[in-house]
Amino acid sequence: MPAQANANVIALQLEKVRDKVPLLYERDDILLTMIQQRGDVEKISSRNLRLPLQVNPGGKAGSYNADGGDLGRGSGTQYDVAQVSPIFFRFAIEITKLVEYATTGRDRAIENAAKREVANGMKQFRSFLDKLIQTAGNGVLGTISSVSGTTFTMTVPYGAALVYPGQTIQIYDTTLTTNRNVAASVTTSVVTADPISTQQITVDNVPTGTVATDVIVHDGLSGAQPVSLYGIKYHQNNATTGTWLNLSRATYPIQLATPRVNAGNAALTPANVRLAINKVRKSLGINHLSKLIAYMAVEQEHAWENLGITVSSIIKEGGSGNGNDLDLLFTGRKTMSGISIKSSVNADQTRVDFLDLAHWGRAVLKDIDFYEVNGNTVFPIYGASGGLAASYIFYFDTAFQLWSDSPRSGAYIDTLARPSGY
Amino acid sequence: MKEQNRLAIVVRGVFLYFLGLLYLLHLNLLRENRMIQVIRESHDTPEEVARRLEAAGGRNRFGEPNYRVIWGWNRLAWIGGKFEDRDAHGDLVREVVELRLEPKYPQVNRWHVERWVPPEMYGSPRDWYAKTVESANGVSVPALGPYPERGEYEHCFTLQGPKGEFVQLTPTIVEHVARAIEWARRFPKAKQRGMLYEREARDEREYEQWAYTLMDDAVPALHGRPFVTVA
Repeated sequence: MPAQANANVIALQLEKVRDKVPLLYERDDILLTMIQQRGDVEKISSRNLRLPLQVNPGGKAGSYNADGGDLGRGSGTQYDVAQVSPIFFRFAIEITKLVEYATTGRDRAIENAAKREVANGMKQFRSFLDKLIQTAGNGVLGTISSVSGTTFTMTVPYGAALVYPGQTIQIYDTTLTTNRNVAASVTTSVVTADPISTQQITVDNVPTGTVATDVIVHDGLSGAQPVSLYGIKYHQNNATTGTWLNLSRATYPIQLATPRVNAGNAALTPANVRLAINKVRKSLGINHLSKLIAYMAVEQEHAWENLGITVSSIIKEGGSGNGNDLDLLFTGRKTMSGISIKSSVNADQTRVDFLDLAHWGRAVLKDIDFYEVNGNTVFPIYGASGGLAASYIFYFDTAFQLWSDSPRSGAYIDTLARPSGY
Repeated sequence: MKEQNRLAIVVRGVFLYFLGLLYLLHLNLLRENRMIQVIRESHDTPEEVARRLEAAGGRNRFGEPNYRVIWGWNRLAWIGGKFEDRDAHGDLVREVVELRLEPKYPQVNRWHVERWVPPEMYGSPRDWYAKTVESANGVSVPALGPYPERGEYEHCFTLQGPKGEFVQLTPTIVEHVARAIEWARRFPKAKQRGMLYEREARDEREYEQWAYTLMDDAVPALHGRPFVTVA
């Protein structure tokens, strides 16, 4: 009987917690998981999910001459079909041989190590996907504004908010045509990232030809104009060119355009907020705001607090000093003109999005789980020589895409100034 | 016998009289019901509440209270532009460009605390109209109505529970809200910023803690080891 390999023990421990993986993933505290898998369309095959949209109303209205006049012809409602293709995402976690040595074969210690890696890995994977949901569907995580050695200063938005230390990234030219890492045959990983003050990142390798205005995209994308998760900026967009879910924006310039308020690099004001909310109300009906949320970066939440008209975090987090029962009133969700606020450290720092989550969904091809081959979930690593490396690897993987069936059901304020101190 | 007949006639007459009255009343009700009546629940702010709020928040440069509380249906604001009126199924019925006075907040059946904001917060009248005028079908309307020359009351707080449940208006509650907001306004912006990031960090820690707890629940008691008796 062969000796028990550590990989088998790790696999056994992963199996014990396997049913908890979806729970870890689906906790609805980030925007991605607040967007529900929709029961009517959630499971899709590798073919595109088709979303029928009513793009124009039908019928011909008008007066007519009852004294023998022609009543004319009619028309029907015009539909078109939006299509969604799922994207596969993975998150790889390695456990080194050191775990075995450190735990000296004790089952419980290995179990704890496996659990810790599952929990930490899922936290990081969710964070990665939450960063992707902020983007425009092309996987761009940031734009380089200047290069100094291995230090990139990043343009706001997003600054350095959408990358994390240790992440493998790729650098493309500004037109998303040339992959500089492929051209130079090097891989680049983030060493440090400061998304709060300097908006700088340092990397281990700078591919030849990297210049300011280049963009950073996530690992796994290839070719020109890569396609990734369709994020907020893909769906909440007032462009009249390009495509949206395989529909031409030029064909439906009004139907597919999300109402926009241009703040003109000025600070957030109540007037901007009312303008944006009113655009939704005029489009959907005056009293159809129940599922709207105001989604923004912490910076814009701060800008809203700076107006001094809302219940600030000083009250909610610190208590008003009295500690009485009335403070319970402040435990509800903070609002912006009556619309619930959901803020994120990953969101665009110059933008506020009003999202009607009732119109958003996740088309899922594969639910989150361990990547599995013939029942195996843990795999050995091979060294450069072809021999075994002292590590094991396992993966989370999932395949899905985000969709919205009504781009006009939201609104956004962009080009907002950031409060001082950022 | 004659008296009995007379009494019967009087009773029948009174009966028919009331029957006729009931019929007329019924007809009147029917006629009224033919009209569509839009009934909005409106409430005026109790004087005691207004007085306590004024004491807590003071007055603005126009001598009006800095804070006020108002019922959702009573709080109307201008909305201008192209409206798409839809039927109950969401189908488009008509498009019209106009200025309407509509409830300002989505929670129409709740009390709202508002704070006065000075006119300069909205920029100059020129800026206001430059930013808010919308044109459609050859008609231009200011999307937020006329420039607020005397400032405007903006939303601070909706009186409702953590899950959106109704909370009854009392002077103590709104006074507490106003005092809390005024208290928070005194803090430097850096402190507020710090609180926001602290909250985000705490949320992350909470997720971690929750995840570890969830993982611990995923294994059997004593990690599957058999119970042993200790002598």
